[in-house]
Amino acid sequence: MQDLRDAVIATLVTAQQQGADLSVMVADSTSTSKIAPFESAFPERVINVGIAEQNMVGMAAGVALSGRTVFTANAAPFLFARSNEQMKNDICYSNTNVKMLGLNAGFAYGPLGATHHCMNDIAIARSLGNLQIFAPADAIQASAITRYAIAHPGPVYIRMDSDKVPLLHDEHYQFVPGKPEVLQHGQETVVFCLGTLAHEALAANQQNITIVSLPSLHPLDTQAVRKLIAAHQRVITMEEHVLSGGLGSIIGELLHQHGMRQRLITLGLPPYEFTHSSSRAALRRQFSIDAEGLRQTLQRAELHAVS
Amino acid sequence: MDVQTIKQTARQARRYVLQMNHRAGKGHTGADLSEVDIICTLYMAVMDRRGERPDQDRFILSKGHGAGGLYCSAAAMGLIDPAILDQFMGDDTLLAGHPINYKLPDLVEINSGGLGHGLSIGVGLALGNKLAGRGHRRAFVLLGDGELAEGSNWEAAMSASKFRLDNLIAIVDRNRLQLAGKTEDIMPLEPLADKWRAFGFEVLECDGHDPHAIIEAVNRPSLGKPRVVLANTEKGHGISFMANVPAWHHAVPNDEQLAQGLAELEE
Repeated sequence: MQDLRDAVIATLVTAQQQGADLSVMVADSTSTSKIAPFESAFPERVINVGIAEQNMVGMAAGVALSGRTVFTANAAPFLFARSNEQMKNDICYSNTNVKMLGLNAGFAYGPLGATHHCMNDIAIARSLGNLQIFAPADAIQASAITRYAIAHPGPVYIRMDSDKVPLLHDEHYQFVPGKPEVLQHGQETVVFCLGTLAHEALAANQQNITIVSLPSLHPLDTQAVRKLIAAHQRVITMEEHVLSGGLGSIIGELLHQHGMRQRLITLGLPPYEFTHSSSRAALRRQFSIDAEGLRQTLQRAELHAVS
Repeated sequence: MDVQTIKQTARQARRYVLQMNHRAGKGHTGADLSEVDIICTLYMAVMDRRGERPDQDRFILSKGHGAGGLYCSAAAMGLIDPAILDQFMGDDTLLAGHPINYKLPDLVEINSGGLGHGLSIGVGLALGNKLAGRGHRRAFVLLGDGELAEGSNWEAAMSASKFRLDNLIAIVDRNRLQLAGKTEDIMPLEPLADKWRAFGFEVLECDGHDPHAIIEAVNRPSLGKPRVVLANTEKGHGISFMANVPAWHHAVPNDEQLAQGLAELEE
């Protein structure tokens, strides 16, 4: 079990030791980002702007103009809502070399409620030009994506989880942008998962389904995704995100654009709803994006197929 | 660079503003005429742009709707070919209504147009330069006074002060007019100098149409703080019938007004 943030920060420390020229910017979010190891190694490379997300993102563009590679690290809900125009204009439209870590995305803040749940980041991010979008499923993948982000000159958004999750990869893992990652092979049903929900899908313990993690939403190897869809009769998507504009929409658009007839079942927050204040587990249960919800969805889908 | 040459260049920039906006039938004529003396002075007498980026003084146009004033100043200074002014706001043009970095990478540091962004970017740039050991490289940010109602400016101001950015110079194009009328009627800024001072800035005021006064204000020895220059200007400055008339914020001259304006610039 490892926290993705620890892996990202350790990767930044190593990259900086190896000669990268990084700055990490936080909006009072030093504990949220677990930045301490980087800050103790390179205190002058951490910029804390206080609780001021608009300014953090705008400043990040400026620091990038000075020649550095900049990471911002703060809570995803505030990054997307508060600094949205700065993200659009100063980072994405202006193509500045800034990587944004969206921390505690989805229901991670559970009982802190809807103000703190980040349910629309993918929908917004995929509406912005120049932005690459990633959602790692474990610490090793988070680390690999971070290394890729440092090497890639341009805007990157990384949707980060905050829970400790088991490792799905070993140290030989190579991140390939766009590549869907098949975690389990099966027949009839393929389940596409956003970020750490891959662990819920695996925990459903259904040996006959194919489970695919999509750590890279843009770029996305749509041909490979279509090939996976074509090999199955039905598709399920699981996301801690609203169903309007997230992973379910991405897959749905692909099906539609290519005239594919597979049935699509999307699991996530229904459109036009807010979440309530509950534990993350309860929220996942409510929207059927946990192991039990997937099992029940599969059962219902089987019945539907028979009748 | 002598002040007379800067004044002549700014006068040429004004001619271009009238001609370009007249031809395009679009533009922020008043806002352009407000700023050209400041832009020409910075580029001709203040900024050191001889090195390669990022080892340069840099200019950020936070009031992105003043793109026309930047283009016309650049044309008057010989930084861009005046012939391309003909394509202002045309289809897929180099000269968009708000400036685009990849179209004119040597002139436009970053895309602008949304208001309240430039100062944060300037703060980041000035800080980045300091962190890179290039603290002598300055970031100049030209702000419209109307855009100071955007709260992001004050977040940026707090940061500039925290990081002691004496290589940051904000210049407020203080023409006291915005789209819907007078700044002091719509969202009063005064006491503006006190506000900046309270945020930890060194505040200087000058005549924003006088190159000598602008040079004196931006180049005065540093007190170790970020600096703001409140440059008192007139929207539509230089053309009698445009000066201080709110409607010229984004009006463009017709044939007759063009002829009259150009004649006034000959005097």
